[in-house]
Amino acid sequence: MRSTCCRRAAAQTIAARTSAIHPVPYSWVNPDAPGPSSGPLAGRAIAIKDNISYISSPTSCSSLILQDYNPPYSATCVESLVEAGAHITGQTKMDEFGMGSQTTHLPPHYTPVHNPASPSPGEPPRSAGGSSGGSAAAVAEGSCWAALGTDTGGSVRLPASYCGVVGLKPSYGLISRHGIVSYADSLDCVGILAKTTDITRQVFSILSHPDEKDMTCVSSSSRKLANEILDSHQSKITPTSTHPLIGIRIGLPLQTHLPAPHVQTPPSLLEHLQSLGATLHPVDIPSFKMALPAYYVLASAEASSNLGRYGGGWVGSKIGDNEGEFVGESGEERRKRIRSGRFGPEVKKRILAGTYALSADEFNNTYLKALHLRSTLRRQFNSIFRIPHPLRPSHTAPTKGIDILLHPTAFRTAPLLDSSTERGQSEYLQDLLTVPASLAGLPALSVPAGKLNDGWPVGMSLTGQWGMEDLIFRIAEGVEKWDKTR
Amino acid sequence: MSRLAPQGAGRLCKVCRHAIARRSYATTSNDGWETVIGLEIHAQLRTRRKLFSEAKLSYDAPANTHVGLFDAAFPGALPVLDLNAVRLSILTALVLQCNINSRSTFDRKHYFYHDIPAAYQITQHYNPIARSGKLQISAGEYGSSRDISVGIQQLQIEQDTAKSQQVGGDRLVDLNRAGTGLMEIVTDPDMRSAEEAGAFVRKLQALLRRVGSGDGDMEKGNLRIDANVSVNRPGEPFRTRCEIKNLNSVRFLQQAIECERKRHIAHYTSSSSPLERETRGMNELTGQTYSLRLKEDAEDYRYMPDTNLPALVIPPSYTEKLRTELPEMPWQTSSRLREKYSLAQKELDTLLALDEFTAGGAQYFEDVVQGLDKPGLARRSLNLIVHDTLGGLNRLGRSWSPLVIPAQLMREIVLGLDDGTVSGSTAKTIISHLTSLHPHKPRPTTLEPLLIQLNLQSKPTSSADLEIWCQRAIQAVPTAAAAVKDGKLSVVGRLIGEVMAVSQGRADPKKARQVLLRLLK
Repeated sequence: MRSTCCRRAAAQTIAARTSAIHPVPYSWVNPDAPGPSSGPLAGRAIAIKDNISYISSPTSCSSLILQDYNPPYSATCVESLVEAGAHITGQTKMDEFGMGSQTTHLPPHYTPVHNPASPSPGEPPRSAGGSSGGSAAAVAEGSCWAALGTDTGGSVRLPASYCGVVGLKPSYGLISRHGIVSYADSLDCVGILAKTTDITRQVFSILSHPDEKDMTCVSSSSRKLANEILDSHQSKITPTSTHPLIGIRIGLPLQTHLPAPHVQTPPSLLEHLQSLGATLHPVDIPSFKMALPAYYVLASAEASSNLGRYGGGWVGSKIGDNEGEFVGESGEERRKRIRSGRFGPEVKKRILAGTYALSADEFNNTYLKALHLRSTLRRQFNSIFRIPHPLRPSHTAPTKGIDILLHPTAFRTAPLLDSSTERGQSEYLQDLLTVPASLAGLPALSVPAGKLNDGWPVGMSLTGQWGMEDLIFRIAEGVEKWDKTR
Repeated sequence: MSRLAPQGAGRLCKVCRHAIARRSYATTSNDGWETVIGLEIHAQLRTRRKLFSEAKLSYDAPANTHVGLFDAAFPGALPVLDLNAVRLSILTALVLQCNINSRSTFDRKHYFYHDIPAAYQITQHYNPIARSGKLQISAGEYGSSRDISVGIQQLQIEQDTAKSQQVGGDRLVDLNRAGTGLMEIVTDPDMRSAEEAGAFVRKLQALLRRVGSGDGDMEKGNLRIDANVSVNRPGEPFRTRCEIKNLNSVRFLQQAIECERKRHIAHYTSSSSPLERETRGMNELTGQTYSLRLKEDAEDYRYMPDTNLPALVIPPSYTEKLRTELPEMPWQTSSRLREKYSLAQKELDTLLALDEFTAGGAQYFEDVVQGLDKPGLARRSLNLIVHDTLGGLNRLGRSWSPLVIPAQLMREIVLGLDDGTVSGSTAKTIISHLTSLHPHKPRPTTLEPLLIQLNLQSKPTSSADLEIWCQRAIQAVPTAAAAVKDGKLSVVGRLIGEVMAVSQGRADPKKARQVLLRLLK
């Protein structure tokens, strides 16, 4: 069994490379040494999340149902990395099919992922966040230069915040999803985790291109349009050496301001950004609060559809050693047996919820309402940005609008790993601040912004208009500067 | 999707307008019941690749050899729409006089079955590409005995499923068909007899072939029909309908309709309880329908927009461009040729059936008769094509192509027959020679080399022989001879024909003419 040996190999190889007391963030480690390579990412070690197809490795999405699945092809984003000279160093653990916020929804035989950002060795282990917790932990522990994750409702940004690294969820449609195992197609984005904004930008520039294998991956003309809009906008706010953010209007959403002990935007960061020339503006996005329920309806509905393929006789239906016991069972019986035995509890919960949302009696009141909330939220986002949406030319942007939104990525630091009270409903709440950008398809980046009293890192999120990644990088570097000087 | 019942409860029902009675009193059969039929047709799109993957289409390739990642629902593979399938669907919808939806969308229809690896079929449930059309059928056309206009509720693009078969205890699945593009065409309940339903299907087949969007081949399963049938007393509202699934020939369709009609009438005349609404199958051996399931048991398909596929935006300018590219439909060609050349319908139908995809038969005929204004020549040409050429090919089991007898050559034969320079027997010999020739052998495009090759040219005969043949001809047809003598030179052809007969085709008609005119001066 190829995957079993790979996992064994992973455990051995990583043991030598990371602290022995920290269980590994990897589900598979590339047994091949990096060969000679050239290109902008030559010699760079990049880890990929276990739901990104790579022809040289198994891709299990941390699910027993895909335990022995070896994809016959590589995702477009992986091919781009390899072509640019990068070495795929391994695949990282995740919440099963991306469903979770703590990388705790793992197969029983997996060791947990520990957050490497611990302020002291004696601390009880904390979660790396999820669902791309393995990728964030791999970056934080330094076993790779950058890592790919996927972000459906915050799955890159939340672990970035908990682990003290940079995490980018790009604009929906800029990075091809071909080869990404679908969780919720209308929300799934390939994301990038790295120690710095600069590395994130370098990887992003390699991955952001059209792909004829993904019809939702935008054309070069849309990209060109977004660049022109950004260029024309930036030409009006030329930075100076003392004021690199002069003219930048930063919005602070009222809805993200939570009372202590929740994470708050550090006042000194705001002062720093003002000292760089930016101005601060409170903004009201009433739909922000409705984003979480809308998100869970839509994501679960899409998941129930996407995960229907597993266990039906095609993918995810491994003939086990004891298959002889089931001779004579019907296709339906077999499907029930495999799906109930091999999906984890969180996945089953969301499949059931999604199936319910799509059922004939519930559809109008649940799925359609969620779609409606989503479009309301999109409209409200568009009404606050002064940069027009490149894909919605009919909409006019308010001149007094803002360029970027700033708010904490998470309302807390990383939760304890083994605390059962941390689970359940509060796990869903952790996505509260990240899902709005997912629903609106907007780029959002979490950048490290110091530590809370408990000594664990927090991240600040920067959300921009669609296609405005470069502007986000610019401001994120301003935040990084502040972080360093503290 | 044709395997399962159409709708979950509470959703937009494709045939819901069935309930809106449309009266047509001329169609009641003499038993006092009126039959009401609506059809749901699945026609495979005649494209080169699958609807959402690069895999090629194949009918009889070894199992599971034409399968894209997406067709087998590999995790991470995404659908990439074949724009040619869209083009062909729009062309079809335009001929069906539908409104083209400038922004249609794709949805997923969910169910678990081994013939659908993704556990959903991509279809256009909420926003089909076309709606509200009609297909008119005139009395006499395709076997219909009255003029009917069959409303088209909608035309939507969707995926076909895999083929599966039971072999012993195993269920074998072939994904070659999985993901092939289909057009689902849903009609209003506008047909009133098995005959009319058959006429609709035949006319639709001709349409698909001429547009090039489908081959309409029911034997191969490339066109499949579900029929909704109910009966009612004339003037009364429609009664319960039953759906008969997966009919794969016009004959079975008609048998199924007849069977259902009788079953419903028998029910109503023997029972006061309402008829159960069912989905039924058709036993092709007995011609009887049988219950598959009750409609209340219909699955909930949990339709959901497929967000991997952006909305299909069709600018009106594109639709208009396609409209100008529409070919003349076979029934239009038929009436045009019939009126222009006064041709018989039977021969015309044979001509049009020659090549339904490119209308090659009609094109060939028009090439042959181009510029032949003399009345009767067109009809003679059609007879030569339909009776002599096709008859010859049929006997040899060969298929027709415009190259068997090049149009220019056929024209010369027609003209020669007309002016007497080619005898009927010569024409027959030439046609039979060319039809028996290997299809790939090149043919001369003019008559002369063939006449020499087949030793059919008017032989250099002695003038004495010619004199004798001419004299015999004058004796044989004295009335014609007298007429020529009186100056009616047009009658000389009749005498030349006689000379040709007497000489068994050896005389040179031109020289014979000269001799005859001299003798009858």
